[in-house]
Amino acid sequence: MSIEVSGGRRGLTDPVIAATILAAIPDQPLETQRKMNYFVTPRGRRLNEYEVLCCYTQPTPDWIPGGLDWGDWTQKFHGGRPSWSNESTELHSTDWHKHRDPAFRWHALYVKDKAEEWRYTDRFLKAYSADGHVRSIDPVWRDEVLGDYLGAFGFSEYGLFNSHSSVVRDCLGDTLRMSSAMIGLDKVDNAQMIQAERTFLAKLVPGFDESTDVPKNEWTKGSIYKGARETVEEIWQGTYDWNEILFSGHMVYDPLFGQFVRREFFLRLSAYYGDNLTPFFINQMQLYHSQTKGITTDMFHTCLADDPEFGDYNKRLLRAWSDKWLPRTVNALKDFMGIFAKIPEIKGVTSKDAIEAALERVFDDWKRDYADPIGYKVDTSALIKTVLTGLK
Amino acid sequence: MAISTATKAATDALAVNRAPVSVGAQEVHRWLQSFTWDFDKNRTKYSTKYKMANDTKEQFKLIAKEYARMESVKDERQFGSLQDVLTRVDAANRVHPKWNESMKVISNFLEVGEYNAIAATGMLWDSATAPEQKNGYLGQVMDEIRHTNQCGYINYYFAKQGQDAAGHNDARRTRAIGPLWKGMKRVFSDGFISGDAVECSINLQLVGEACFTNPLIVAVTEWASANGDEMTPTVFLSIETDELRHMANGYQTVVSIANDEAASKYLNTDLNNAFWTQQKYFTPVLGMMFEYGSHFKVEPWVKTWNRWVYEDWGGIWIGRLGKYGVESPASLRDAKKDAYWAHHDLFLLAYALWPTGFFRLTLPTAEEAEWYEANYPGWYDMYGKVYEEWRARGCEDPSSGFLPLQWFAENNHPIYIDRVSQVPFCPSYSKGASTLRVLEFNGKKHSFSDQWGERMWLSEPERYECQNIFEQYEGRELSEVIAEGHGLRSDGKTLISQPHTNKDGKLWTLDDIKKIGCVFADPLKAL
Repeated sequence: MSIEVSGGRRGLTDPVIAATILAAIPDQPLETQRKMNYFVTPRGRRLNEYEVLCCYTQPTPDWIPGGLDWGDWTQKFHGGRPSWSNESTELHSTDWHKHRDPAFRWHALYVKDKAEEWRYTDRFLKAYSADGHVRSIDPVWRDEVLGDYLGAFGFSEYGLFNSHSSVVRDCLGDTLRMSSAMIGLDKVDNAQMIQAERTFLAKLVPGFDESTDVPKNEWTKGSIYKGARETVEEIWQGTYDWNEILFSGHMVYDPLFGQFVRREFFLRLSAYYGDNLTPFFINQMQLYHSQTKGITTDMFHTCLADDPEFGDYNKRLLRAWSDKWLPRTVNALKDFMGIFAKIPEIKGVTSKDAIEAALERVFDDWKRDYADPIGYKVDTSALIKTVLTGLK
Repeated sequence: MAISTATKAATDALAVNRAPVSVGAQEVHRWLQSFTWDFDKNRTKYSTKYKMANDTKEQFKLIAKEYARMESVKDERQFGSLQDVLTRVDAANRVHPKWNESMKVISNFLEVGEYNAIAATGMLWDSATAPEQKNGYLGQVMDEIRHTNQCGYINYYFAKQGQDAAGHNDARRTRAIGPLWKGMKRVFSDGFISGDAVECSINLQLVGEACFTNPLIVAVTEWASANGDEMTPTVFLSIETDELRHMANGYQTVVSIANDEAASKYLNTDLNNAFWTQQKYFTPVLGMMFEYGSHFKVEPWVKTWNRWVYEDWGGIWIGRLGKYGVESPASLRDAKKDAYWAHHDLFLLAYALWPTGFFRLTLPTAEEAEWYEANYPGWYDMYGKVYEEWRARGCEDPSSGFLPLQWFAENNHPIYIDRVSQVPFCPSYSKGASTLRVLEFNGKKHSFSDQWGERMWLSEPERYECQNIFEQYEGRELSEVIAEGHGLRSDGKTLISQPHTNKDGKLWTLDDIKKIGCVFADPLKAL
């Protein structure tokens, strides 16, 4: 028979071709080691699919710690800057391939979860609208807070999303890169879901303005988000060290400012103002925050702070970065306190004592989960006092 | 408190119409362009000589959750086929042995391109100013993660279920031993991420994806299927459904710089350099993988190349961009000549260097030799005769003590490596265009095989400083290099690479190589 195959004949199903193929296949497999990436040290007891599909996809040479290749880069930037290089970050590691997403999400698992969340969102919105829930929302909360301040918070999430672009370009590990892209996508997802909620309200409530004009004006010119905007701008475009971008955004700013705004303001207060819609979206964001926390604490605590050779050095640097980013974050919170003057007061909920208790929860969580593991000493009471000076 | 007018209106509306309402992806996306804001430091961290327009829109308008939904549906279909039907019919064990070997290279090498494209599109996401354009690049970032995982999945599947797992199970480290790897890094890794951001986009999207992934990802599925492999079409065709969005991104990049003055000065030079960069490696390597890595053939590589590269890409796709000042690359004519013989020249060298691979290679059978001669008249006199001589001298038999590399030395045909493309060449024994030029810079010699690459090096020698295998392994004995690079099977003595795929043939061991005493030497030092 001719060895040129035409007419769409397939080796698997065409009897003549298949017979030739089967005759050529050895009687026994030539190799008994069937585990791909068998040389990888698993994080758990056994290598999992995430480790098989992700580990060592980054082709770095061995002079970038953890790399398996040798030699220089085959093509560098104009002027000779390397494709990837150790000097792109101040932190040091004995192995940039050590990081693992605690949920072991490779692409298929990540999109599967998010697709389910989108389908459920669609079903929820249909049920919510058919049930007439929107009637119970306090109009000031709906028109001012959701229309303006929730919309403005979307810009904070959007700015943080964009801060991941240079991280995705520059970071030195494969699992680091994939995790960074996913936690970045979660941030733009948050921004888009905030807009989705506003668009949804506009469909239900005649006159509700879904456009981004008012929130954008609030974000860029208003006082409530001024400190937040300045911090996000600095994280996004003022910082070049990809580790510092991740640390400032996910280990200082978002666990403090983001958590207060999402959990302690929008999530806690919504029900008091008759709003059962916003908690649906905020709870999705809280899920992403929790997953991100798992990822970034693995990066900075498990891998970098506990690095066998550079752990102490890294911790000193992380404490220095905390010194740098904490005041800006506190300032962002202080400015945000101005929002309480915009909503009808509810005693024990929006009064000063309740706000203080909310801040204590956020700062206590942050101290335990982010500051203590790197030995960062902080007087949270003093910081809370500073924030509260922003209350009008 | 009294209800507002708006709440009353909503209540009244609800009394009339209780139809459930939701929000679609497009309804959210229409606001995306307004998500950004101006501030002093809002500019890219990666320099480019071009200016991308602020209001560039994207063609495919996705939001994060809709992207996830779309991709998840594709995954269900793909993994469903792989894990269900194909496993039940033992499909991985019904692949021709030559093709099983080819997929060790094709899937893993494509994987590194997909991986580096994550970083490349991260850079483009950073460089764009318009939120919609950023969004398009973000979609591609996620796609490239998907494709990285998919390519890995093919090696994973073949390792778990196929006839020879070695090479599939550890390609990410054993690929570093041999000379084909550096060329792949240049064309599909560093070429994507190191340079002017727009130049990188041209390399990745306008040339890499629009031109070469057509043969690489689409045409390869026909070759796979002909040789019994239905796993590769299942995965690669799913990869290709995402590539349309990437081609659109590349198109939009050109649109976004079309009105910038720099475009008229630099764009066609950047395009020509990108095209030569990609074709210098892919024209010979893809042709070699298809024709020499298979038993059953689909069509001569030169025909595939002409259709995909010359007519479709060079003619139609680039033609569409003509209104933005884009011209067909000046080097296209030289590339067309390469498409005829370059892959035959390369296989001669690759086979000679077989011990440095992570896959088994096979000499053409008598039937295959006939096919080559019929489609490439003159093939036998140049290559067929040599392969016959090698076979007669026992190149497949470990007890012969003969490595084809010796034939090159005996006949005074030194093998060099082009500094810019990292592609090996033998100027004194090749049918394709191959000239040797040697230049010295900073105390080191550099060899070049063509004027286009040499010109790139002369403009910027500091970009091309990567050592090749002769420099890296100089003075070292071959078996030592193989062992250090983990080129052995799990028995600790048999090489992963072999010079045949005969089911009854003897396998070469590290000792067989050591007995020969082959020591690496840098050919440039002899000049």
